[in-house]
Amino acid sequence: MRNGYTGLWTLLAISFITIVAVSAFDSINVMGFELKTSGIISRITEPYHGSGCQDESVAVADSMVADTEKISFPVPVDTASQRILLIGDSMLEGLSPRLAAYAKQNGHELYTVIWYSSTSQIWGECDTLSTFIRKFRPTYIMVSLGANELFVRDIERKRDRHVKSILEQIGEIPYLWIGPPNWKEDTGINRLVEKNVAKGAFFLSDGMHFDRARDGAHPTRSSAAEWLDSIARWMPDNCNHPIRLLRPDNGVTSRAKRIIVLQPKK
Amino acid sequence: MDWNDIGRNIFELLNYDSNAPMIFSSGLFWALFLVFLPMYALVRNRRWQMVLFVVVFSLYFYYKSSGWFFLLLVGTSLIDWALSRVMIRLTSRRGRLWCMWGSIVVSLSVLGYFKYANFFLWNWNQMVEGNFQPLDIILPVGISFYTFQSISYIVDVYRGDVRPTESWLDYLFFLSFFPALVAGPIVRADYFLPQLRDKREATVGEIYMGLWLIIVGVVKKAIVADYISQYNDLIFASPTGYSGFESLMGAVGYTMQIYCDFSGYSDMAIGIALIMGFRLGKNFDFPYKSRNLTQFWRQWHISLSSWLRDYLYIPLGGNRKGVVRTYVNNFLTMLIGGLWHGAAWKFVFWGAMHGVGLAVHKACRPWLDRLPRWWIVSAVSWAVTMIYVSLLWIFFRADSWCDSWLIIRNIFTDFSIAYVMPFVEVRGLWCVMMAVIIGSHALPRRWHDAVSQWFVGSPWIVKLIVFMVVVQAVIELMTEEVAPFIYFQF
Repeated sequence: MRNGYTGLWTLLAISFITIVAVSAFDSINVMGFELKTSGIISRITEPYHGSGCQDESVAVADSMVADTEKISFPVPVDTASQRILLIGDSMLEGLSPRLAAYAKQNGHELYTVIWYSSTSQIWGECDTLSTFIRKFRPTYIMVSLGANELFVRDIERKRDRHVKSILEQIGEIPYLWIGPPNWKEDTGINRLVEKNVAKGAFFLSDGMHFDRARDGAHPTRSSAAEWLDSIARWMPDNCNHPIRLLRPDNGVTSRAKRIIVLQPKK
Repeated sequence: MDWNDIGRNIFELLNYDSNAPMIFSSGLFWALFLVFLPMYALVRNRRWQMVLFVVVFSLYFYYKSSGWFFLLLVGTSLIDWALSRVMIRLTSRRGRLWCMWGSIVVSLSVLGYFKYANFFLWNWNQMVEGNFQPLDIILPVGISFYTFQSISYIVDVYRGDVRPTESWLDYLFFLSFFPALVAGPIVRADYFLPQLRDKREATVGEIYMGLWLIIVGVVKKAIVADYISQYNDLIFASPTGYSGFESLMGAVGYTMQIYCDFSGYSDMAIGIALIMGFRLGKNFDFPYKSRNLTQFWRQWHISLSSWLRDYLYIPLGGNRKGVVRTYVNNFLTMLIGGLWHGAAWKFVFWGAMHGVGLAVHKACRPWLDRLPRWWIVSAVSWAVTMIYVSLLWIFFRADSWCDSWLIIRNIFTDFSIAYVMPFVEVRGLWCVMMAVIIGSHALPRRWHDAVSQWFVGSPWIVKLIVFMVVVQAVIELMTEEVAPFIYFQF
């Protein structure tokens, strides 16, 4: 190699090798700061699935939610007005406006707590959920967590107690855990949640097709609305505590009665 | 760990994926560049080997982004080159003209079919209330850029400004040069081909200046633009869901996002080319420092505006046919420039309004030139220019006319400063990034030059640290964890 390029190539190669080597870990701690890693190794070594396995829109994807574990027989829909508490990560940005429209249509009240970049670990390690339960006294809780934990290694060992902690905080209140909208195969978060929640209290979103925002992760607004529509369609026959969710007009969104935003935990 | 899976995953990564075009800030490009660089250094002085090697890499680069459409690029280049060779053998002006127009018609027909066919069909449908189905057309990546390059080549050969390449491979090298292939700058034959003929070594200084440009580009594109876009996208996705202040921030945010996105990618392209020993010229020169629209278009997407000037505005008559024709030529040039950006009326409107703005500026120039050169005059000129440019970006970005007007209406009818503090509190990082990019515009050019010179002259280990810090910053905002949307209002 010619001299002028040697230094540059060495620089690029050292950086690349370092980034790849470090990606063997979920994160690394440098002087108290937790640094993220690139995920290159897990991308290369993950089981091969081929391409184009997801091809159906959530709008018509009733069949795609069939993987969710069902209750053995349909439970009558609870037609009472509910005070719904929706908690979770940034996926709520798409879910909440559509759920608010459902709430308005069906006489429910919706309270939304969005905690950016949050995980089951973050919610499970603190009593934030209990605090909001005391504050809003919900009659129904919806949880949307897991998108930030799709690729955590050994997740069942690391996060099991946190998922259990969240469920303990929910206690006897009817709830539904909405699984993350996978953009790649997860390392077990869906399996972990499904294992812990009651039968008919978990909506598996994995396997659906979503139109993604430009970050490649979040569903677009319209796709998130269709996601919520799918949940509403799934509920009557599959959920262990279905509530009334008659569909508002197409594309309609609304505002929750109260929205609380929590910043990423650093 | 299954080696079969690893092999298949790598193969899939290297294969064409319409959802994952190769971009310079991706890990895949980095890895491939690590393979490319030493081989390029080895064949650097063996001209034919170098040209062949770069062409093969460029075509693979295009294949990764556009699949088999790389054959279209090869075909276009073959037709252009053949017609250019025929042209120089002809003595009659008419024959040469036929060759030039033949090449232009072929290039524009291909562009027209892939980019504008559905647009015209849609408009036809609207006029005749027909029921045609849109054609199932995939737009090849970068076709608008290389079509303009191809036109500039054949026109320059016709005019005698450029000596046609002896070999088709040289021309294919020019047309498919991967740093500029998918998103510009639009390289001109009269500037680029002499560099290929009189090839000289890239100096160590140029190589590290190239690295510096790549770093600046990555910061602009992969850190700033990609991050601030998350908030801006929310505003444009749901214009009714936000207050006037938030809509204003979305509009200002998009103004900065499109600059960082586009100029960042250009910086990376120019940097990679410089590492290879080729100069592509400046494509952005702090356009948001402009104090009038004419200056803005001299500093924004320079390769496009100079192309439009030389191959459209001047052939239309430029300013040589009276005041009215000058305005009309300017307007038409900007109209076509708008349409070049995309097949939709919003782009036509955006271009037309820039044309109107330029005409107004030209008309007012005698009066404006008499104004005293006080700082307050400069500040007002800058503010008026920025407001006009930012306002037009709303139309450029919004999905529909209705959304554009909703955002503008929100800004003017639902504005409250009560939103300022909560906004800053909740969207801290977004505000910091905006402040950094606006602040960097406020700095004198010589400071930017001084920083780049410092980097080039710094010890190797410092360069390594700077590079790794930037890469880690990208990872912090782009890894598998969902980068947070900054805030929302339902």
